[in-house]
Amino acid sequence: MSNIVDTIMNIEVFIFIGILIWLYFKPDDNDSPKN
Amino acid sequence: MLKNPLLVVALIITASIAIWGIVDTQGLANFAAKLVGAQFSSRAWFIMLTVSFLLIISIWLAISRYGSIKLGKDDDEPEFATLSWLAMLFSAGMGVGLLYWGTAEPLSHYLLVSDYENSNKAASISLFLTNFHWGFHAWAIYAMTGLVIAYFSFRLGCPSLISSPIIKVFGKTRLPRTIGWLIDLMAIVAIAIGLGGSVAMGVFQVKEGIDVLFQLKDTGMGLTMGVFVVLCLTYILPLTVELGKGMVLLSNAAMIVAGTLLIYLLLVGPTSFLMGGIVQGLGEYLGSFLVHGFTTFTFMDDRIGGWFQSWTLTYMLWWLAWAPFVGVFIARISKGRTIREFVCCVVLVPTAFSILWFGVFGGIGFYDIQSGELPILDVVRDNISGVTFYVLEQFPLSSLTIAGVVIAAFLFLVTSVVSAAFVLAMFSTGGDLNPSTKVKLSWGFVLGALGLAMILSGSIDAVKSIIALGALPFVFIILLLVVCFLKALKTERI
Repeated sequence: MSNIVDTIMNIEVFIFIGILIWLYFKPDDNDSPKN
Repeated sequence: MLKNPLLVVALIITASIAIWGIVDTQGLANFAAKLVGAQFSSRAWFIMLTVSFLLIISIWLAISRYGSIKLGKDDDEPEFATLSWLAMLFSAGMGVGLLYWGTAEPLSHYLLVSDYENSNKAASISLFLTNFHWGFHAWAIYAMTGLVIAYFSFRLGCPSLISSPIIKVFGKTRLPRTIGWLIDLMAIVAIAIGLGGSVAMGVFQVKEGIDVLFQLKDTGMGLTMGVFVVLCLTYILPLTVELGKGMVLLSNAAMIVAGTLLIYLLLVGPTSFLMGGIVQGLGEYLGSFLVHGFTTFTFMDDRIGGWFQSWTLTYMLWWLAWAPFVGVFIARISKGRTIREFVCCVVLVPTAFSILWFGVFGGIGFYDIQSGELPILDVVRDNISGVTFYVLEQFPLSSLTIAGVVIAAFLFLVTSVVSAAFVLAMFSTGGDLNPSTKVKLSWGFVLGALGLAMILSGSIDAVKSIIALGALPFVFIILLLVVCFLKALKTERI
C-alpha cells in the first residue's frame, strides 16, 4: 500500500481519538453555571 | 414495513452483499480481503490498542466504586439463576466456533510456530495463542458492549439500541441522531454478515460430521447444500412464534452436549497429559495475556505478519462483529445484576471454560503429534472442518460423540440464527421488543442468503475476510459507546 494512503488512514484514527477525548472532557450543556 | 427507512436501507445493503456473494463469490471475497488487508496493515496497532483498552476499562469498572451500580433500578433483582445465566451468555458468545476450532486452531498455529521453535515450545505457544484469541480480550469486547446497552436500557430507560447511548448523552439534535441512525445501520450490517459467516462455518462442520458418521465419500457441494436447506427449514418455524423459553432450552441443551463431550474426552483421553497441559496453559495465559494484548508483531517477518492478520486481528474483528448481537442478548438477560458481578462473570467464567476446552481438544492434538502415530497435522492442512471428528474417531463410542457434535453444532446454529433474526428485527424497528413475524422472516431470509453466499465461497479464509469487512466500523463505534457510558457514569451519585 502506498505510503500516503497509510498516512491518511492513520491520521483518521488520530482525529477520531482526539474527538473521543474532547467529547469525554467537554462540559455538558446542563453542567454550565447558568443552570 | 416499508415506512421504516432504516429497515429498508439495511435490508437493501445486506441483500445486495448476499446477491453479490452468490453471483460473484470470488469477487466479493477478493474485495473483502483487499479492504480488510489495507485496514489491517495500517491500523493493526489501533485494533490491538482498542481491545486492550476495553479489557483494562472493564477491570477498572469491576474494582472501582462504580462496580456496585445496578443494571436496573436499585431494587431490581436478577431475572435468571446465576448458572443458567452463565450457560446462556456462553452459548450465545462462542457457540459453534468452539466445536469447530477446538483442535483445529491450536494445531494450525503449531504448523507455523514449529518452524521457529522446537516442538515442545511450539505446542505451548500455540495453546497460549489460542487461549488469547478466545480469552479475556474477546469477552471484554462483549462485556463492554453488553454493559453499555444494559446500563442505558435498564438504568436510564432508553430503547435497547446501539444508538441509544449517543442520543441520550449528546442530545436529540440533528447530528447525534444522524450519527445514531448510521450506527444502528452499521450494527445491523455487522450482525447480519457475522451470522452469515457463522452459518457457513456451522454448515461446513455439520456436513463433515455426516460424511464421517455415515462414511460417505466425495459428497462435495450436494450434501453441503442439503444441510443448508434443512437448516433454513428448521429455523423458519421458531421465527414465526414468540422468542420464549424454548430458545433458552435449546441453547442449554447444546451447552450440555458440549460440556459432556469435554468431560468424556478428558476422562477417556490421556487425562494426566491433558490436565498438565491445561494447568500450564492457564499459567502461561495469566502470566502474559495483558502484554500480549499490546503485541503487534511489527518487528517480525512477513510470514508472522500475515499470520497475525489472518488470526489475531481477524478474531478481534470477529468478536467485534458479534458484539452488538451478543451484547444486546447478554444485556437482556442481565437486568438486576451489579456492574462488578456482570463484568467479573462475563469476562472470567467463559474464559475459564475456553481454557479447559482448548486444553482438552488441543491437548489431544498435541498428544497425537508427540506420539507420532497419527497424521493429524495432515488433516489440519487438508481438511480443517474435519479435524474435530478426526479427534473423536480415536476414542470409544465415536459414532455417539460425532453425532453429539453434529447435533450440538446444528442446535447452536438454529439458536444463533433465530436470536440474530430477532435482534436484527428489533434494531431495525426502533427497539420494538416484539417485532412482527414479517420483519423477523425477512431477516431470516437475508441471513440465509448471506450464509449461502459464504458457503459458495467454499473457503473458511474467505468467510473470515467477509466477516471482518462488516465489523471494521465497530472498532470506532464501540469506543464511542464507551465514552458515552463513562460520561453517564460521572453523573451517578455513589
